[in-house]
Amino acid sequence: MGIDSLIARYREILDESPLDQVAEWKAKHPGTKVVGCYPVYSPVELIHAAGMLPVGIVGGGNRLEIAHADSRFQSFVCSIVKSTLELAMVDKLAFLDGIVFHSICDPARNLGSVYKRNFPRLMVEYIHFAQNLTSPHTIDYLTAEYRRLMTSYEQLAGKPITDDALRQSIRIYNEQRQLLRELYAIRAEKPQNLSTLESYILTRIGTLMPPDEHIAILKEALAGIRQRDERPKDRIKVVLEGSFCEQPPLELIEGLEAAGCYILDDDFLLGWRWFPADVPAEGDPVRNLAESYLHQSVYSGVKHDTRERKSKHLIDKVKETGAAAVLILAAKFCEPALFDYALYRQALEKAGIPHLYLEFEEKMWIFDKARTEVETFVESMLFD
Amino acid sequence: MIFAAGIDMGAKLTKAVILDGERRVVAKSSVRTRPDFAAIAQEVLDLALQQAGLKQTDVNYIATTGFGRYNVPFRDIQITDITCVARGAVFLFPKTRCVLDIGAQSTRALRISETGKVLEFRTNDKCAAGAGGFIERAAKYLEVTIEQVGDLSMQADKPQTISSVCAVLAESEIINHVSAGESVENILRGVHISLASRALALLKRAGLEEEVTFVGGVAHQKGMVKALEETLKKKVNVSDQPEMVGALGAALLALKRLEKVRLERPGTTQAGELSAAAS
Repeated sequence: MGIDSLIARYREILDESPLDQVAEWKAKHPGTKVVGCYPVYSPVELIHAAGMLPVGIVGGGNRLEIAHADSRFQSFVCSIVKSTLELAMVDKLAFLDGIVFHSICDPARNLGSVYKRNFPRLMVEYIHFAQNLTSPHTIDYLTAEYRRLMTSYEQLAGKPITDDALRQSIRIYNEQRQLLRELYAIRAEKPQNLSTLESYILTRIGTLMPPDEHIAILKEALAGIRQRDERPKDRIKVVLEGSFCEQPPLELIEGLEAAGCYILDDDFLLGWRWFPADVPAEGDPVRNLAESYLHQSVYSGVKHDTRERKSKHLIDKVKETGAAAVLILAAKFCEPALFDYALYRQALEKAGIPHLYLEFEEKMWIFDKARTEVETFVESMLFD
Repeated sequence: MIFAAGIDMGAKLTKAVILDGERRVVAKSSVRTRPDFAAIAQEVLDLALQQAGLKQTDVNYIATTGFGRYNVPFRDIQITDITCVARGAVFLFPKTRCVLDIGAQSTRALRISETGKVLEFRTNDKCAAGAGGFIERAAKYLEVTIEQVGDLSMQADKPQTISSVCAVLAESEIINHVSAGESVENILRGVHISLASRALALLKRAGLEEEVTFVGGVAHQKGMVKALEETLKKKVNVSDQPEMVGALGAALLALKRLEKVRLERPGTTQAGELSAAAS
C-alpha cells in the first residue's frame, strides 16, 4: 500500500470511531484483557507484560454527544474528562477490563474515583507518581508504586508478571518509541515530507492496537515517507506546546499547518513518546522503568520537576529545531496548560521568541477562528 | 503607473479600494455581500474600476481579505482582516498603537507596532454578542433602521444596562426595558455601552496603549464612538469610512508585495505573472 493510502486508511478509522478498532480486536481475542490508559503517561510495559493489551483512552473526539457527563461534572471542567466519562456511560468502553489514571490534575483525579464508583465491573487503578523528584527515595518509592500496580494487573490478568516478560515488553515499546522518534526527526528536518497531521495519525493509531502491529505499520510508513522529496513551502517554522492531555480534532491540526506554518515538534500524545532514549531492559526492569521516569522522561505540564525550568526545555526545543516561533495550543479549562502558559509567556518574551496562544476543545467543529489567528500570526512574521 | 487593489469580503459588505503606485486612493466601492463570493468580488471591483476609469488588466496585484478571502479566484494573495486593518489604520493615523475593529460578526482588538505589524490580538468568541450583528438585531426589535441607531443613541439621557454576554439573553433584557417603558434612545445607548465594555476587555487583553483607532462598520455609529470614548476614557481615531480600512490595508499590502516582486523580477507588471511569483 502506498504511504498516502496507508495514512488515509488510518485517518478514516480515527475520523469515524477509533474505539471500534479496539472493540473488534477484543472480539477476536476474547481471552485477552484490555486496560485503558488515560493521559498523560502510563507505564504500558507493566500491562503488556501481564499479557494484556494497553490502549489509549484519549477522550471522545468531536462526534460524541455529551448527554450524561455534563450532569456529573461542573461546567468549568475540560472536555476530555467529560467525554471519557460519557464513553463509559453510553457503553462505548465495553471492551475494557480495566482503566488506569494518574495524578495530572484535579478533574482527572476525580474521574478515577467517579469511574470506580460507577463502573464496578472495571479494575480502576490510579498511579501516584512521585511529586518530589529530588528526594533520594524517589526511585525506591516509584519502584514500590509500580510493584503495587503490578499486583493489581496480575490479579486482573490471572497470571504473574515475570521479569523476563517485562524485559521483553520494554524492548518492544522501546522499538515503538524509537520509530516514533524517527517520525518526529523527519518533521524537524524536512517538514515538507511529513505533515503534522500525518505523523499524528501514525502515532494515534498505535494507541489502539498491540505494539508489534503498530511497529509493522510504522516501518512501512517510514519506508514510504523516506521516498518523498517535496519542495519546501514558504512557511514559518514553529514548535507546538500545550496539547499533552486532551487532543485537538484532526481538522484543527490540519488547519494549523495549512494556515502557513510547519510544526517541527509538538506534545501531542506525549505519554506514548515519554522517553527520548531507550529504557534499559537488563537488570531490574521495574526499577529501570522508575529510573527512566525520573532521569530521562520528557518535560510536561503534569510532571513537577523542580530541577530544571520547563520554559528552558521549551526554549531549548525551539533552538534545537530551528523554529522561529511557538504555538501554544491549550485545551479549554486545562489548568496545567494554563499554569504553564504564564511561565512560558514570560520566558518566550524574554528570549525574543514570538508566540501565539490558542485554545481548543476536542468537541469543536468550527476552525475558522483558529485558522485566522494562525494566519495573522504568520503574516505578522512574513510581512515584517 | 502601477495599481493595486484590496477587496474585503465582510459578513455584511464587500468593499474594494484601488491604490496607485504613490499610495493614493483612486477608487473605493462597496456592495452587499451575497452567497456567490466570486461574483460579488468581481462586481465590487468592477465598480471601483469604473470609478477610476481603469480596466482590470491595469491592476497589477489584487489582495483579498475578510472571511470570504479564499473565494475570489482572481486574487493574487489572501491576507487576514486582522493584518489588513492594522496596516490600514496606521496608514490613516500613523500614531495608532491599538486598533479596535467591530464588524457585523466579529470584534477584534489589536496592539500594533509603528509600522502596522500586529504584535498581539484578541478576537471575540464564536457568538456575535460583541459585534455589529447584535446591534442590528436590537435595532430590528426596537423598529428603527441601523442608520438611525448612532444618532438616537446620542440622545440618551438615562442609558439602560444590558449586562448579558449572550446576544439571545441580551434581547430578553431589551424586551424587559421596553416593557418597563424605557426610551429607545436609552436602550440603544445601553447596547453601545455593553459593546464598549466588551471591547475594553478585549483591548486590555491585547494590551491597551495610545492611540486607539476604531474601524469597521460599527464605527459609523456616533453613539458607539461616544460610549467607547467614555469607557476607554480617551479619544479614539475614526476615519470618514471606517468600514473601508480593511480593504485599504489589503491594497497597501498588495502594493508592498507588488513592489517586492518587481524588485525580485524586474519587468513583471501583470497580475497573472505576479500570481505565479507570489504563490
